Amino acid sequence: MASAQATAEQVERIIAARSKAKLVRSLIYAVVLLLVAWSVNTTIIEDTDWARMGSVANVLESVAEFIGIDWGLFPHLLEPALETIMVATLGTLLGVVLCVPAIWFGALNITPFMPITYPFARLMMTLSRSIHEIVWALFFVAAVGLGALAGVLAIAVRSIGFIAKMTAEAIEDLDPKPVEAIRAVGGSEFQVFVYAILPQVLPVMVGVIIFEWEINIRRSSVLGLVGAGGLGLVFFRQLNTFNHPGVTTVIIAILILILFGELVSYFVRKAVI
Amino acid sequence: MSILSVKDLKVRYSASGPEILKGVSFDVEEDDFFAIIGPSGAGKSTLIRCINRLVEPKSGSILLYGTEVLSLNSRQLRRLRRGIGMIFQEFNLVDRMSVMDNVLSGRLGYVGNITGLFRLFSKADITRALSVLDRVGLSDHVDKRADQLSGGQRQRVGIARALMQDPKLLLLDEPTSSLDPKISREVMALIMEIAAEYKVPVLCNIHDVQLAMEFCNKIIGLQDGIKMFDGPTSEMNTKKLDEIYAMEVL
Amino acid sequence: MSVKAATPARSGAKSKQPLREWKRFRFPQSLYRWGGVLLGLVFLSYSVVYLNIPLERFFNMFGRVGTLVTERYYPPEIDYITEPDYLASVVDTIQMSYLGALFGMIMAVPLGWFGAYNMSPSKRFVYPLARFVAMSARSVHETIWAILFVTILGFGMMAGVLALTMFCVGFAGKLFAEEIEAIEMGPVEAIRATGANEFMVMVYGVFPQVRVAFTGIGIYTWDVAFRAATVVGFFGAGGMGWYLKRNILQIETYRVSAILVSIVVLVLIAEGVSAWARARVAKAK
Repeated sequence: MASAQATAEQVERIIAARSKAKLVRSLIYAVVLLLVAWSVNTTIIEDTDWARMGSVANVLESVAEFIGIDWGLFPHLLEPALETIMVATLGTLLGVVLCVPAIWFGALNITPFMPITYPFARLMMTLSRSIHEIVWALFFVAAVGLGALAGVLAIAVRSIGFIAKMTAEAIEDLDPKPVEAIRAVGGSEFQVFVYAILPQVLPVMVGVIIFEWEINIRRSSVLGLVGAGGLGLVFFRQLNTFNHPGVTTVIIAILILILFGELVSYFVRKAVI
Repeated sequence: MSILSVKDLKVRYSASGPEILKGVSFDVEEDDFFAIIGPSGAGKSTLIRCINRLVEPKSGSILLYGTEVLSLNSRQLRRLRRGIGMIFQEFNLVDRMSVMDNVLSGRLGYVGNITGLFRLFSKADITRALSVLDRVGLSDHVDKRADQLSGGQRQRVGIARALMQDPKLLLLDEPTSSLDPKISREVMALIMEIAAEYKVPVLCNIHDVQLAMEFCNKIIGLQDGIKMFDGPTSEMNTKKLDEIYAMEVL
Repeated sequence: MSVKAATPARSGAKSKQPLREWKRFRFPQSLYRWGGVLLGLVFLSYSVVYLNIPLERFFNMFGRVGTLVTERYYPPEIDYITEPDYLASVVDTIQMSYLGALFGMIMAVPLGWFGAYNMSPSKRFVYPLARFVAMSARSVHETIWAILFVTILGFGMMAGVLALTMFCVGFAGKLFAEEIEAIEMGPVEAIRATGANEFMVMVYGVFPQVRVAFTGIGIYTWDVAFRAATVVGFFGAGGMGWYLKRNILQIETYRVSAILVSIVVLVLIAEGVSAWARARVAKAK
């Protein structure tokens, strides 16, 4: 029968197409696998000083050194923890101030002069996001010297990208209807901004800022490594004096701090939005 | 004497685009409740937005209380706009602001930037807002956020905002299209009462012919940017309606 | 124009006593709010004092940063970043980043499963545990992971790969869990109704729904891991970070700026690749 033959042809076609797709897929898998195998070889097998590391037992021994908590250290962690929070908060707020031009220039519908201001804002955002906070901190240590200020600046600059990007997107997605309404009652452009644009953008912005603040606690907790004080400094000190339970204690303190940040951000977000 | 007189109004959004309004003329008298009907895409919304220049016409003339609207500069335009209340299809409230602040925003044309920025409205404005809210039946919702209200209530906030402007003309842009039939009728009745109380002429663009026939005393019919009918509601009949809506059937 | 006090019957209002008074500032609520704002301001100014932030140095900084950049960091020594040694470290960095992302994601899949409230095998124990593990892995900064692994395993890229793995576990684990929590439960119920065990329910009911999203998250994870990979070397965990540290310590500022330029360019490329790949994946859905 013709239809049976047609069906058989169809089945063959489908099988052929499937096996071709399978071939392509297995090729991709093979390439990925080879790549991974090669990388594992170069990064882990060849680059490791196996003699220094010793046997599995030796490694476990050094891991075991970290187990335990230095209870005596806790009282000395309060001040650095406070410093860490302060650096994060000040850095976030300074970041908010610095990102105003990036937001203004970076939202397509309000950027004053597209061909110049828009790429400028994008550049600001990209630089901010692509350079790691440690590197920013080193840069600012060179500029203003060791201390909390360098940390605050590093965090501020590092925050620009995300806050500006999200807020600019919120401005681009603005609901035009209230804008029209405020224009229709005879409001000036400034009043349109205050009454129709800000109420829409502000909640988004506050949410983003709180989110960024949470991340910044995590960041500021390590900036001590480059001389900006806080928990990172204590961490380094414990490590250099081989007080390994102390290292664990500092890490636990960081965890608690971040948990606290998450809690605060949860309540603030609930209150605002 | 006519309050609003529109002559040969033409609108085109872009130089190469189609002409949305192809020379529309009409007059609105004192005490008129004036309806603009027509199929969607006929240019009703565009026409109404030309009156307060939310849309810039290409040519023609709009005389409002003897002032040529189209020749005003931006400061004069804002003065004009504050005297024209506008009620929108989708209410156009600022969702995150309270009902009170939404209503008070109707006074923005009268207050300075500093007052507006810090929301320092005068006692007189607040008293006025309260009585207007009472008039539209929202006394119980003064401090709610606008997005917590139902559609009908939101439109009442829109009406209250327009009343705050002390309007000399009300423009309604499909005020009932987002509401269900029962609420639509209530809202239209409320607007009609208020227009009579405040002695404001109303120019209303409306999709629902039934409502137009019921509430309005004059009708113009638009079709594809051209005026097809202009006269008192009593002269409107099924045949003429069919003509106006002929395009929609196709 | 006067506002009429008397309201006609048709307004639909319950017209009790019309409100006569309205104030923006009311006793308890406004006090809390402005008290909160005041408290925030006090905290901020106290922070500035407590941290000994020299404000005058802050305001003089802008000129200093300008001269610093133009005189000491410009022009970048481009020759340095085209040297084979440095380029090899770039390749190392890329390898570390994708290995870290890959290992992290392999571990993050079960973590996401256990940490998704709707699918977790035990809401009492496994769910909070998985969430806690993901949170800890994410909360500890990648540089701290790097330092820890270097301390335990010695210098080398293995420490870097493991540090990135930990970072990616936390990062992807959280996103995976959120993605699983957002699935439709209909297909899951259908598979359960066939009598399949929980693993089979995951394979047939859940993974087909989240496959595309997971792939997208995976690519994004790599992108983020790459940024982190550029600095783990700073603490001896391999890659270009080590070159950065060495040149900073030797005050080779022109080389430092060249390295920074290379980092920015590479991150941009990584971001572009990741955006392109994610768009491809989303389309292939």
